[in-house]
Amino acid sequence: MKSPLDLKDHRLIICLGPGGVGKTTISAALALYGAMEGRAVDVMTVDPAPRLLDALGLDASSAEPQPVALDGLLDRRRRARSRLRALKLDPKATFDALVDRYAPSPAARDTILQNRIYRNLSAALSGVGDYMAMEKLLELHLAPDADLIVLDTPPASEAIDFLDAPRRLLDLLNSRAITLLGRSGGSLLRGLKMVDFAARTVLSAFDRATGLHLLGDVQGFVESFAGMYAGFAERAQQAGELLKSPATIIVIVTTAAAARIIQAREFAASLDQAGLQVDAVVVNRIMPEVPDAAEIPRAKIPPALKRKLARNLNDFASLKQREVHALKDLRSSLSAKSKIIVAPDLGREPRTLADLAEIARSLKIADPASES
Amino acid sequence: MTLPRLIFVTGKGGTGKSTVAAALALALARRRPTTLADLDKRRSALRLLSSSNGESDRGTFKIAAHLDGVALSPHAELEAFIERIVPLKALSRRMLQSRTFSYVTAALPGLEAFLMLERLRIMAGDAALKDHYLVVDGPASGSALEFLSVAEGVKGIAPGGTLNRLASGVHSFLIDGARFGVAITVSPEEMALREALETADALKRRGIKWTVAILNSTSKPLFDAADLAALTPLKAHAQLALRRNAIAEYTIHAREQLKVAGLHVLELPTLFLPELGKDEATQLADKLEKTLTHQ
Repeated sequence: MKSPLDLKDHRLIICLGPGGVGKTTISAALALYGAMEGRAVDVMTVDPAPRLLDALGLDASSAEPQPVALDGLLDRRRRARSRLRALKLDPKATFDALVDRYAPSPAARDTILQNRIYRNLSAALSGVGDYMAMEKLLELHLAPDADLIVLDTPPASEAIDFLDAPRRLLDLLNSRAITLLGRSGGSLLRGLKMVDFAARTVLSAFDRATGLHLLGDVQGFVESFAGMYAGFAERAQQAGELLKSPATIIVIVTTAAAARIIQAREFAASLDQAGLQVDAVVVNRIMPEVPDAAEIPRAKIPPALKRKLARNLNDFASLKQREVHALKDLRSSLSAKSKIIVAPDLGREPRTLADLAEIARSLKIADPASES
Repeated sequence: MTLPRLIFVTGKGGTGKSTVAAALALALARRRPTTLADLDKRRSALRLLSSSNGESDRGTFKIAAHLDGVALSPHAELEAFIERIVPLKALSRRMLQSRTFSYVTAALPGLEAFLMLERLRIMAGDAALKDHYLVVDGPASGSALEFLSVAEGVKGIAPGGTLNRLASGVHSFLIDGARFGVAITVSPEEMALREALETADALKRRGIKWTVAILNSTSKPLFDAADLAALTPLKAHAQLALRRNAIAEYTIHAREQLKVAGLHVLELPTLFLPELGKDEATQLADKLEKTLTHQ
């Protein structure tokens, strides 16, 4: 059977998608698929719910990749190189580690870690979580012990949020206005454009009106990051190149629910606009094919049971019809270069490695145009 | 059941949150004039009921005789707030256009959310004066909890001034069961149930008084043990029968667990229909109306 995804020439799979579609499950299944194909795979989740680690039987507290026992899932010929490791990302800890690495002195590091803007940035601004996922990804990517890395991303309402994170963080650190804010009053008044001066004016007006007293914190934040910009910039550039590399596969995960299909289409369109190719859309929780109605009248079962079966069949056929329409809609709006891959609904929550392996083995390319 | 002025609908992604919000708004509109406020960027609930999704109409628009729709955006709330606290038009405009300012507000992600809550508080006050209802299609449960906690956070970081005063007002609004309530949508699945129970618990700890669970996409058991035994030779049909029964069994389990957690449970059936649009939302509204009347 033809593989739904050709992984041989690829080193990285990035799974993007809205919340609640099973993105973490699909990331894990793709990773397992790679391992079953005989490759050394790392899978990283940034989903705060430790579901993936549960399914993989791993301890959520570790920040290092942990090996997954693949007993019984590998075929003998391929076992030599097959390996799966999983890791859960803690964005805050990764950001702190990054500050630690690039800060010019321990005092500078502590100033940053204590700063109110930094604390809010690292704990709450989703872009920072995204950037940190990218940072950890680079770390794994640069260490040459995995053939393939699968990255599960935080749920996003916009596809571009994740991929755009390095640029946004750099933009913040490099912003002319914010750099000037960090300087002393004397130099601020010399040779400044009106807009930079205005930035300071508006912030102090905001401070007075709201009682937030932010100005000092913003200054402190910018000052303390001054020596670290080059390090961040270099990493962000590397991350950008990795995303556009032909060895990277971008996958959107969704379900066949109408609202999710709309969202997946919007994701694909915005990635396309950003010059990024969506290699595949994985539609998760696809129902099994509806069985043949002709079998019911022929079966040797009581008439009452026949009626129940017919009703059940009819009910699920309606839902299946809804699903087929959704897949057709998706196909008609996607570029021909993007595959649609369907993943089955097991009829239960995937909770074990065997469940993930079942999903991995069932992944297949859908061709909605050829279906009735 | 006495309903609060505003019902905030949340739930795990995939539990039918927007569909339920739309159905609830349709059901309440049969009692009193109702407004459906959509906080979702894609306006899923409004789209289900109306071809106008609120993007072209700024402000409120008509969905049906006693039902209005309104799309709220955090950024619009921020703009309105800045214009309110900075009386000079030229200055407020410059402030909003400043990149630095946008970074600072981005670093304080609670600010926009907080202003949105302040908007809901004002809308609920307005609804009370006119004896109307307000249904809000809120964010998915994880973000909804952050969203609803933001007032306390704002009180913490702004020890005095305008924001602090507003935060106290928002906080008393959220813990007032006559003005504010939460409906948690849950489907008969393990993860959805777990998240609903966690959400209900977190809401209780935050002092929110009125909470119901809406158990959506339920089913009744169709096949008994003898049926299933007789189906063994018809493998594919047997699997489909098991699937139907699994939904029914988990419906019973979820209902029990939600009740044990002290929640009122309203139930909505799986609509085995090839479409999910306004007509189907109306069918769900019929069911909701009945349950609301019986309790």
